Amino acid sequence: MPESETGLDFRRGMIDRRLARTRRVLLVMSGKGGVGKSVVSAALAGIAAASGLKTGLMDADIYGPSSALLFGAKGLPVEGESGLVPPILGGVKVMSVDLFASGRPIPLAGSGANEILLELLALTDWGKLDCLVVDMPPATGDIMLTLTSLRKDDVEALVVTMPDRLSTSVAHRVLELLRGGGVTTIGVLGNMVHDSTKDKETGPGKLAEEFGVPLLGLLPYDHSVSNAVEKGDIEALLRTKFTRSLRRATSAYLRDIGASRTAK
Amino acid sequence: MHELSLVQGIIDAIGETAKEKGGRVRSVRIGVGELAQFDIRLVRGLLNDLKKGTSLEGARIIVEPEKSKVKCLGCGRIWNFQELAGPISSDEREIMHFLPELLNSCSRCPNCSKNYFEIEEGRSVRIIEMVLDA
Repeated sequence: MPESETGLDFRRGMIDRRLARTRRVLLVMSGKGGVGKSVVSAALAGIAAASGLKTGLMDADIYGPSSALLFGAKGLPVEGESGLVPPILGGVKVMSVDLFASGRPIPLAGSGANEILLELLALTDWGKLDCLVVDMPPATGDIMLTLTSLRKDDVEALVVTMPDRLSTSVAHRVLELLRGGGVTTIGVLGNMVHDSTKDKETGPGKLAEEFGVPLLGLLPYDHSVSNAVEKGDIEALLRTKFTRSLRRATSAYLRDIGASRTAK
Repeated sequence: MHELSLVQGIIDAIGETAKEKGGRVRSVRIGVGELAQFDIRLVRGLLNDLKKGTSLEGARIIVEPEKSKVKCLGCGRIWNFQELAGPISSDEREIMHFLPELLNSCSRCPNCSKNYFEIEEGRSVRIIEMVLDA
């Protein structure tokens, strides 16, 4: 009896095979825009690479990509035999739709953003990675569903929030979705924090406590971050007070990746 | 040449599906969508080269072009790539070769000038059908 198969999306298998060569995938999420996910993602990728981990940064914010800008990456990726070779900047392999769009607006309807994400994940030849940091878009739509349902055990999430009620209320929803989807949250990170004592008790601290996940840290508002961002200078970003705080906040996570690499 | 990766991905997916279902691949139909601007002869050639020693060896392989159908979400008109391609530069064609959805970044509706298109058909390479012998 012949059997006909249609609707088989071969890119899913390609993505599984590519990510099988990646030790850990970390989704940097907030649900809300403007809380600093992209800067946290870029700085964290830079910290990981500087600590000796083979690191990639996937810009999953298809509508508003900024990873290429943060790293000063330009131009189409090179086509290799095994796919698209991401440019390496500051030791980080960076992939973003903006390497293709080069600043053009990206108006997308329906499934367009998710199609681009699937295509980039299927085509990018990351090689072996210890850590793939994913800069997630705001909102909890298709892209979040695609990335949280990857057929991979080591997909984890880091939830970034500002201390205010608007940000934490959206982060709360994200944490609920992650819990419901069985995705491990490595912790909550407060960003642009003015009063760390108060925000440990309320805002990000309260959120972490409610979900039983670590409060990784409270990152200060740091003017020097915007200077580094303006220049697209990842090295300058890595020298900021903000990045020093982020390094402390994520040191246990990165050490754990390093240890698992040594153990295998 | 990312076509190589895509064709390999197709062969792997077909092989995995055949293994899961426990059947032999009798035939496959592969569509080559107009928007990604692949050379259909290249896709055929890669399939022929890469199928050796896989579940596709011995199967009937049909590779066919698929015309594009793009709907403007502003006015509802349906276009094909050729009707939209006029103002698209060679650099823009190249980015669409990788990411066909970036048509939205490169073109506008000739009727209403909006740039919100939905790709209905002819996006890129895809598996239209595979037939297994149980």
